[in-house]
Amino acid sequence: MEGLIRIMQKYSSLLVSGTEITLLISMITIVFGLIFGCLMALMKMCRITPLRWFAEGYVAFIRGTPVLVQIFLIFYGLPILGINIPAIVVNGTDVSRVVSGSIALVINSTAYICEIVRAGIQSIDRGQTEAATALGMSNTRVMWAIIMPQAMRNIIPALGNEFITVIKTSSQVSVIGIAELMYTANTIRGISFQPIAPLVIVALIYFVITFAVSLILNAVERRMRRSVR
Amino acid sequence: MDQPVISIRDLRKAYGTVSVLKGISFDIHKGEVVAIIGPSGSGKSTILRCINALEPITGGDVLYQGQSVRKMKSYTDLRTHVGMVFQHFNLFPHMSVLRNIMYSPIHVKHEPKQKVYERATGLLRKVGLEEKKDVYPEMLSGGQQQRIAIARALCMEPDVVLFDEPTSALDPEMVGEVLTVMKSLAESGMTMAVVTHEMRFAAEVADRVIFIDEGVIVEDGPAEQVLMHPDNPRIQSFLKNKL
Repeated sequence: MEGLIRIMQKYSSLLVSGTEITLLISMITIVFGLIFGCLMALMKMCRITPLRWFAEGYVAFIRGTPVLVQIFLIFYGLPILGINIPAIVVNGTDVSRVVSGSIALVINSTAYICEIVRAGIQSIDRGQTEAATALGMSNTRVMWAIIMPQAMRNIIPALGNEFITVIKTSSQVSVIGIAELMYTANTIRGISFQPIAPLVIVALIYFVITFAVSLILNAVERRMRRSVR
Repeated sequence: MDQPVISIRDLRKAYGTVSVLKGISFDIHKGEVVAIIGPSGSGKSTILRCINALEPITGGDVLYQGQSVRKMKSYTDLRTHVGMVFQHFNLFPHMSVLRNIMYSPIHVKHEPKQKVYERATGLLRKVGLEEKKDVYPEMLSGGQQQRIAIARALCMEPDVVLFDEPTSALDPEMVGEVLTVMKSLAESGMTMAVVTHEMRFAAEVADRVIFIDEGVIVEDGPAEQVLMHPDNPRIQSFLKNKL
């Protein structure tokens, strides 16, 4: 225990910056994953066949391959495709790696969020669409004003689960040299010759983050439920 | 007589190879209350759904104020003039009663909020639910929800309101309150097409009754004639089973 606290104090600045990067990447992934996931879900349900095929193929491929492979594919693949993210270093962090890792995680979580959102939309009774259509609303308005708000309420628990998964999955981008929490743990293990203690510390930090997120989500869920009463 | 509000001409509707409507023709004139009756699965609801283009038409045509529904590029105008009340009410559960009623007049017809608010509260008073304006639909009984749904349709200031079995999903003791609202609406001169199993309501309120069976009109005439003195044996046996 004393050892843990000593290591925490000694390497606090590393741990803080690692936590910041983990939070940053998770936040980017959740925000963009939610946006693209919603769009992908709409594509998967739309009448335009090529769009539907694309979305179906996308989800099948992403869900069927390991995230670790996807992270490496993006990191090494983007430059080969001629997409070079300029290497800018801010506060000792290589921004281009963070961008590459975030892209991989967004691509990954988009597939999962797409399925969650699609299931949520399809759980809404057809009568809702019909009533809104009969009141003269356009298809777009029906979707965003009538169906989506109800679907969102239904999918909050599943979405919360996905958010927590994203936070934990972000540890995998340590393999491309992003100094987030997991990478920080390995760094500290190397310089302190302590194999276990740094892992215990970051495990605790991950847990604090995910537990806080789940508490927030519970509150949101309760509030949304109340608003219907 | 002036131009009918809605004119249905040889309307045909098929789902794949199953033919549901096999050539239906009738007019609905301003101020008229038309009851559409017939056995389950005879295509009654489908007629209403073709009128406001919720279902695409297979053959024939529906004219709204002389305009062909088949030739319309957008249905927004049609649907803002043709209200619909559904069997399962279909109120929006994430909106308060008032917002349910006010949403489309404000966002589709782009009317000023204050004007819509006054109209909406007036309608709520009319259906006897003024004190429920801020609650959410799930707090209301079926009969109350259906009355709100009627107010929602009326707040669009439609020329005609279509009722698709408005009391079929209600507990028996709640049927009356909905029918009362519909009756007073009919008395106020609203043009209505009502698909219903309530024979007494049809007899009392409707100007005309149309009996549909297997996708065709069997009888179309004054309520008195169709319900009280039917010549057709199919109507006779249908009515006998109803009573």
